[in-house]
Amino acid sequence: MAGGGGGGDGEPEFQIAPMIDVLLVLLIFFMSITSAQVLQIDKDIKLPVATDAKKKDGKNQINEGAVNVAYKANKAAIKFGSLSWEDNLEGLVERLTEMKRNNPSYRVIIRGDRTVPAVEIQKVMNVIGQAGIDDISFSALNNDN
Amino acid sequence: MRKGSHRQLAADEANMGFQIAPMIDVVFVIMLFFMVMAGAVKVERELKTQLPGMAPSTPTEEKEMPDEIIVGVEESGAVTLNEEELDPADNKPLTNFTNALSRLKQDADNRGAKVLVTIQAEEQAKYERVIDVLNSLAKARVANVTFTVGSDQGF
Repeated sequence: MAGGGGGGDGEPEFQIAPMIDVLLVLLIFFMSITSAQVLQIDKDIKLPVATDAKKKDGKNQINEGAVNVAYKANKAAIKFGSLSWEDNLEGLVERLTEMKRNNPSYRVIIRGDRTVPAVEIQKVMNVIGQAGIDDISFSALNNDN
Repeated sequence: MRKGSHRQLAADEANMGFQIAPMIDVVFVIMLFFMVMAGAVKVERELKTQLPGMAPSTPTEEKEMPDEIIVGVEESGAVTLNEEELDPADNKPLTNFTNALSRLKQDADNRGAKVLVTIQAEEQAKYERVIDVLNSLAKARVANVTFTVGSDQGF
């Protein structure tokens, strides 16, 4: 049978083509598991670590929005979408209410910096509650490396 | 002059072949990079909770009162359970707190009761510490969590 390994009496030849195939498959595998999970969050926010938190399922991203709470110069900076809302929390309530009205299964993820005082997160929860959204989650990282 | 350019062309033609060895080198390096990066990748996780007041209520059904546990998060980072300090600020995994919570949860499960945890964080307590507490609650499989920040602005 003509197969790998060259002739019957000579030394088996090193097959470069299958090796390249395997290498490329491995490369694609490692590329996909690293790049698919690149965090798309505000660079000013250093998320806290929660090793026992559930993995986020990427299926439901249309139904969710993120409120980012950074903490700079002893002041909380609240962002939803690309806009800042810390001076206009009523506006944020209206915006979230509208989102909830358009999509009843809308949920909100709170991405707070680890140094933010708890009272600022409470304010955000208050805003989300006023908008009629009850399904919220707190964002955290799996490790701190 | 003409002879020289002819020689150059011949040399170029000889080098036109696809070089497999450097390609494998490069692929190996890229693969090693991604293998190393895969270990340190940061994945976003979530701690789900439900804000109170929105869940559909069934007033006709008689409900058994849940076991309420008050968890305090102090500004210093200390964590208390029913006003008893269990873990100091430097204990990030909150081992004592998690163990106590697991015991309480198991006890309540044996009796068929629910556990309701209220987190009372001081206003200037760090959010990171609140997440540590939520992480311990997730570890102890306690799902009913409510929040109170400050003295009377409960939520």
